[in-house]
Amino acid sequence: MTPRRKRPPFFYLRLFERLCKDELFEELQGDLEQEFNQNLRAFGERKARWIYRKEVLKMIRPSVIKKASNKFQSFNPTIMFKNYSLVAFRNIIRNKLFSSINIIGLSISMAVGLIAITFMTEINSYDKFHENGNQIYRVVSDIVRPNQPARGFATAPLLVGEELTNNFAGIDHVVTIQRSLYGSFEHNNDDFSATGIFTNNAFFDVFSFDMIQGNPSTALDDPSAVVLTESVAMKIFGRTDVLGETLNHSRYEQMMITGVVKDPPNNSHIKFEAIASTELLKARSSSLLTRWSQSTAGYTYVLIPEGYEVDRLQDNLDQISKAENDKFKSYEVHLGLEALLDIFPHTGKSNQFGIVMPSEIVNNIIILAAIVILSACFNYTNLSMARSLKRAKEVGVRKVVGARRGQLLVQFMTEAIVVSTLALFIAIMLFKIIRPEFLMLNLFIERTTNLALSGKIYLYFFFFATVVGALSGTIPALFMSKLKPTTIMKGVPAIKASKGIDLKKILTTAQFTLSMGFLILVTLVYKQYKFSLNYDLGFATENILNIETQGNDTELLRAAFTQIPEVSNISTSSMTASTGQYQSDYAKHDDALDSTYTLTFDVSPEYISNLGHQIVAGKSFSNELRKDHVVVTELLVKSLGISSNQEAVDEFIQFNGQSYSILGVVKDFQARTITSGLMTPFVFTSERQHSSMQLKISTDDIMNTMAKLESAWSEVDNKNSFKSIFYDDEIKRAYNNLSSSVKTYGFLAGIAVSISILGLLGMAVYTTESKGKELSIRKVLGASVASLVQLLSRSFMTIFVVSAALAIPTAYLIFKRTVAAESAYSIGIGFWELSAGAILIMIIALFTISSQTLKAAKSNPAERLRDD
Amino acid sequence: MKGTHLGEFQEVVLLVILALEENAFGVTIKQEIKEKVNRDISRGALHTALTRLSEKGFITSEQGEANEDRGGRRKRYYTVTNRGVAALHGAKALRDQLWGQIPRLKLYPDYDS
Repeated sequence: MTPRRKRPPFFYLRLFERLCKDELFEELQGDLEQEFNQNLRAFGERKARWIYRKEVLKMIRPSVIKKASNKFQSFNPTIMFKNYSLVAFRNIIRNKLFSSINIIGLSISMAVGLIAITFMTEINSYDKFHENGNQIYRVVSDIVRPNQPARGFATAPLLVGEELTNNFAGIDHVVTIQRSLYGSFEHNNDDFSATGIFTNNAFFDVFSFDMIQGNPSTALDDPSAVVLTESVAMKIFGRTDVLGETLNHSRYEQMMITGVVKDPPNNSHIKFEAIASTELLKARSSSLLTRWSQSTAGYTYVLIPEGYEVDRLQDNLDQISKAENDKFKSYEVHLGLEALLDIFPHTGKSNQFGIVMPSEIVNNIIILAAIVILSACFNYTNLSMARSLKRAKEVGVRKVVGARRGQLLVQFMTEAIVVSTLALFIAIMLFKIIRPEFLMLNLFIERTTNLALSGKIYLYFFFFATVVGALSGTIPALFMSKLKPTTIMKGVPAIKASKGIDLKKILTTAQFTLSMGFLILVTLVYKQYKFSLNYDLGFATENILNIETQGNDTELLRAAFTQIPEVSNISTSSMTASTGQYQSDYAKHDDALDSTYTLTFDVSPEYISNLGHQIVAGKSFSNELRKDHVVVTELLVKSLGISSNQEAVDEFIQFNGQSYSILGVVKDFQARTITSGLMTPFVFTSERQHSSMQLKISTDDIMNTMAKLESAWSEVDNKNSFKSIFYDDEIKRAYNNLSSSVKTYGFLAGIAVSISILGLLGMAVYTTESKGKELSIRKVLGASVASLVQLLSRSFMTIFVVSAALAIPTAYLIFKRTVAAESAYSIGIGFWELSAGAILIMIIALFTISSQTLKAAKSNPAERLRDD
Repeated sequence: MKGTHLGEFQEVVLLVILALEENAFGVTIKQEIKEKVNRDISRGALHTALTRLSEKGFITSEQGEANEDRGGRRKRYYTVTNRGVAALHGAKALRDQLWGQIPRLKLYPDYDS
């Protein structure tokens, strides 16, 4: 018996066969194979194979390999392209249902893609306009306190700037920015508020903010100097040539304008309306500039000269931090560097310069958009594969007439790209509708982006459409162009036996998993949102209107508002409970040694009754002002170790360095948002530093009452406008991030569901069409309508069950890991919360399928069979 | 007709084909070059040279027999044309002429005459 013949490496053999010119293959492969066999005998199999592989790779030279152009374009390429597009359009028009399902599905998801593209382009453009952008770094800090994890900050102690310029050679351009220029400028008895920054002259050197008036190298020399932006200058003076004018500032008195600078562009993370000099802070001997412990005071930017190594600068910073940290016992600041172009979006540092997009939001948007787009691509792939059975004859005829595989490939790809380009036009329209909604999604998106369209972005759009088309068209194109005329002639069953069917099932399952997952998530998040809003906070918020006092005297305001009959009760406080604001302290009971963590709150005597807090022991504040009285919650009594609420009355507790006597005990209530913490012990004090006012309103005509309140306000304060919000709305605002999650997931769920249902409709139409004959025969033989519907729906049912099995646990985990993990109290999750979404989709899906199957099952078999 | 310049490697290939007489096909040419000229070339490189030579009309080829070792694929035998032989002579004459021009001393500096 002879051993099995050893053959050259199969892959390389096939590769060579593909690449080599047909007329050369016989000679060259013959030579290679003869040599392979000689080597096999001389050196053994391993080496022979190795030599063969090397030989094949060295065959890749122009004189041996086929010319690519021969393969695809044997005719004039433009004519062929024209023909492909024509065929594509004809096919789109002929199959109106399939084409519209594809185009609608693609355009919805592409609209999301367009949002993501515009959004990304905008995010990426941040801070790119600075000429020296690549050499600018920001000094950032990690603050370490004992027993606490280090926290990263975008800020650094401002003294670093001076240290760097004075004590280290080579660093000349250091900008320190302090962000607390608030207040207003007075001009002709009008007030113009402008927020801004304190910085030094290097600011104009390092950054590319162009000055249109004034000398950038001296503008900030003087403590009273101020540089305005163009738009602020226009607002105050109505012109920009305002050099040398003086303005009265509400906090810094007389200031002289030494420059006018262009408004910072939208895509600058540094934003300002006015620039004052750091000298002004120095003149006021601000501790911000000199104290190491003021580590969050401001921002330091360094322009690294060319040839200067970043590591060297880091070494310098390490030296500074070491020297300074040695002066403190339990407080360390470690300085680091962050490239200017890495600042936006930020990766988790606190205390950013204004509103900086967190990178998770950016990542989430990309991931979600990709998911939605893929889902629509699956639709196209699925429907085209399904239809490929119908188009197989077309492929067969084309091949017989002489079309090559490459040409067919190009034809089917062209078709996909034509569809995606058509979808693009609808997507651009949809984009314009969704844009305002998207911009309102959350604070970061609202404040930092505007999704403006430009020529460049349109170019990206077209590129994107091509990619989407190619992505969704590849599989069907490969599949259809591969069909052999002989197989096609044998009929549909022969084609069906191929792998394409399994792929369709997988893609449909993926789609339904996504839709179900999103729908379950949106159910859970929405429930959590409602749960948070309706959570029993332990006090009454109905009909309470919160008013910001904006620095006005509370007694004056109170006097003005009491005049209005609809206002039944007025109280004031230092902040608003349950909306995220809080103030904490450690309280001690006289006897006990250890202290307990508590939240505190300054209120007026009426507050407790106005907000419906229930007194369980003792009494509430009386109108007589006693600053050493407090009202506490039951939880505080318990955590201080006092045996009963009654006992606690008239006991003394200490916090804030003072002793207070307990006047009364109220029921526990939720003083922080329920997402941010569990119920905590609480103390009401009666200090009088109140910035918030609660009016209990009883009225049927809210508009009228608001008008009255506004006019009462303007009697007291005619500079600032009346700012009020109902307590319930303020609580709603505190859960804004949840409601934006509900909106996002809801929107995506809507898209994913509609895309997959569209796809399912297409598949159902196809299945019933292709099985029409089978159904008719079954019917003739006596099958009932019900059994036929069941027959058609069975394969879909498996898909739904598998999708639900995948989607439910995934959605549950995502909810637990994200939303529930951020919330101290979360909803109980039961069967219905999890399965409602899945069941809803199944019902819609079954309805969709049965609309087709019923029609087919009910049709008269004679009609269908007559043609054969 | 392309140019008639004969490259150095092409010249080697021509000579090898002539030396192999009736048995010049891909495998033997490659092996002969490896053994006699001590140059290990790939079959692809040899193919390029053969293509150039036949483009210039220096060689012709004809299909030969197949065998088991070649997976049933037929050989292609190469023979040098008269024009090829002439080109070899031309190349040799050119060299001889140049050799003749060089003073003997420069070529054999250590040779004591």
